[in-house]
Amino acid sequence: MSSNRRPKLRSVRRTAVAATSATLAGVLLAACGGGSDSGSGAASKGPVHIKVWAWYPQFKQVVAEFNKTHKDVQVDWVQAGVGQDEYTKLKTALKAGQGAPDVVMLEFQELPTIQLSKGLLDMGKYGANADKDKYVDWAWKQVSDGDHVYAIPVDGGPMAMMYRADLFKKYKLKVPTTWAEFKEEAAKLHKADPKAYMTDFGSDETAAGWRQGLMWQAGSRPYTYAASKLPDIGVKLNDAGAKKVYDYWGDLVKNKLVDTQSYATTDFYNGLSSGKYATYIAAGWGPGYLSSVAKKTAGKWRVAPLPQWTAGGNAQGDWGGSSFAVTTQTKHPKEATQVARELFGTSEAAWKIGIDQAYLFPLSNPILNGSYFRDKKYDFFGGQQINKVFVPAANGIGGFDWSPFQDFAYNTDTSEVGKALQGQTAWSSVNDNVQDQVTSYAAKQGFKVSK
Amino acid sequence: MSLLRQQGPAAAVPPSPSVEKVAGTYAAGRKTGRRTAGLSARTRHKAMGLLLVTPFGLLFAAFLVAPLAYAFWLSLRTSTLVGGDHFSWFANYKQTFTDPHFLSGVRRVVVFGLVQIPVMLGLALLGALIIDEVTSRLAKVFRMTLFMPYAVPAVIGALMWGFLYSPTFGPVNSLTDALGLGKVDLLGHSLMLTSLGNIVTWQWTGYNMIVLYAALQGLPREVYEAAKLDGAGQLQTALRIKVPMISSAIVLTLMFTIIGTLQFFTEPRVLEPTASSVITPDYTPNLYAYNLAFQYSEFNYSAAISFSLGAVVFIGSYLFLFATRKRSGLK
Repeated sequence: MSSNRRPKLRSVRRTAVAATSATLAGVLLAACGGGSDSGSGAASKGPVHIKVWAWYPQFKQVVAEFNKTHKDVQVDWVQAGVGQDEYTKLKTALKAGQGAPDVVMLEFQELPTIQLSKGLLDMGKYGANADKDKYVDWAWKQVSDGDHVYAIPVDGGPMAMMYRADLFKKYKLKVPTTWAEFKEEAAKLHKADPKAYMTDFGSDETAAGWRQGLMWQAGSRPYTYAASKLPDIGVKLNDAGAKKVYDYWGDLVKNKLVDTQSYATTDFYNGLSSGKYATYIAAGWGPGYLSSVAKKTAGKWRVAPLPQWTAGGNAQGDWGGSSFAVTTQTKHPKEATQVARELFGTSEAAWKIGIDQAYLFPLSNPILNGSYFRDKKYDFFGGQQINKVFVPAANGIGGFDWSPFQDFAYNTDTSEVGKALQGQTAWSSVNDNVQDQVTSYAAKQGFKVSK
Repeated sequence: MSLLRQQGPAAAVPPSPSVEKVAGTYAAGRKTGRRTAGLSARTRHKAMGLLLVTPFGLLFAAFLVAPLAYAFWLSLRTSTLVGGDHFSWFANYKQTFTDPHFLSGVRRVVVFGLVQIPVMLGLALLGALIIDEVTSRLAKVFRMTLFMPYAVPAVIGALMWGFLYSPTFGPVNSLTDALGLGKVDLLGHSLMLTSLGNIVTWQWTGYNMIVLYAALQGLPREVYEAAKLDGAGQLQTALRIKVPMISSAIVLTLMFTIIGTLQFFTEPRVLEPTASSVITPDYTPNLYAYNLAFQYSEFNYSAAISFSLGAVVFIGSYLFLFATRKRSGLK
């Protein structure tokens, strides 16, 4: 027994050592590569290598596709963490003056923050304005400021309601079309099964964008900001739309009609697959996420439009969505711009990977309006053509500004929501408290704040 | 020194190389009047010393002094998102000590420490006294088991406890549910500090116990015998003899624990994503400094917070050592 085990153990250890040294070597090589390509890259004849940070695992194939179809430019892909983790690294590299990639994947709400720290290259100078008409109007507005182009849109997060058709049938629930109905059905479900909830109210930082998206739908437009109009910024985080959302969800929470688990927890994933939650209010990228965390519920989900505040309305919101930006540390601005524009761009081959495997919601007009995407049937949703819900939702999104201190705003909101959940403060005062803190922060940072 | 003085005269008469070797180049050189040779030996000696210290000195300067100096320089400047960056003397420090986020964090770790430190060190002392008294095989097993959590990296320990605390998967909740007590939200507002305290206690009790146990092992056994002859029982020996005699070790562990508590970071940082509406960015001073720098890009203010925290730790440690100077033998 023991003689059998020993060599095995040793080989495991050897593999571990090998893996560790390989990783170390990789790090060292990467470190060296970062330093040396400045000198030799431009001079030598070989293709220019552009380093890209992005977090979708399926990105590997998109990069392979790009490298196959391009001769002079080659992409080196690095997975530098998802969302906030990547931003932390990026901000540190920008502060340090070196170490940032050429092209980086950023969510829309993060663009003004990085732009203000002078981290983003104006791609307008390298011809990116030519892409203006290739993208959905609201998305282009997210990434540009007049003729300045700070990123190229990739995917969007139009919001919709995913629901468990089997549970709805079992408890004889009606698919809600308004938020008032949503509450009624929530009460009905929770009464029928006290362990089940209509949905989970995302109270954590990763759900800050979710809460913001719901406010977007309710007509809230908290910021008026453009980099070209610095130092002016309008901040109104306690407008009627924002208050409407917290009054509504605060009421559901107080009546225990929804759960309040953090979105970034295994408990939440588990709730999605165990039937604890009958709906998941999510975004265009939600199907991909849902089908990976709740595999065993495949076929039971359907998608319906986001419930409305007024019956028959068509108000929509967005949660997340990403873009490719070029950092100011790049040595090859022209090639980096090309990579940002063409990695997905209007390439059908790249988008096929994006749609089929990463479940991305394209913001590129020809892809979005193409029949492949529009008519695609999703097995996870029982063969439903879910984009017949998402595409109209994306069309109703409209304009929305972000602040250049979005992390602070999201964290403040999360802290205040936490206090309200605990009963320390009233739900009705959450928006006012957030507004006070964010405006005083903005003023201290040198902005001319109009409330 | 006294050794050199004794051997000096012997080296004075015949300056043979073997004696020189015994007495040391320094003493021999001086006594025989070989001034120049002695001096060069002295410089050589010095140079050798410097050479030996250089690797440490370089690393110390590069990885401790330089970053500290840079951070201090950063902390004297103010940069805002719009206004740019300028030298502002101690404005950041002034802001620190009126910043409700920083102060609430300090208050939180102090409250945390007031409860957690006595519990943990009490357990560690009890454990140390037990394994010092009982010398069976079980004591060895007990010692190992208690020490084991210290060998688990703090991040992994915190992640593991995060799962144990989980309302869906955690055994605590399965138990209370089975007993009909309902769910206990161990990661909620009211219990988070307790849950964190439990992780820290789990991780560090064994370590402190070993330190105290080592001190107990160093005590002379005759004292126990004397106590026994004077009619002291085991409990009395423990409380009246052993504990006072290892008081300097207790002060040491207390000191390390206080410093660690004021710098509380890893456990709340690991649990932050699971409960970010509870563990706010300013939950502990160190976490606040981290978030200021790496989420809000306020590197200057973050540096000031770090130095302020350092000052709090330094003053706190000094006061503590001053207050316990008799017990710790530092006088």
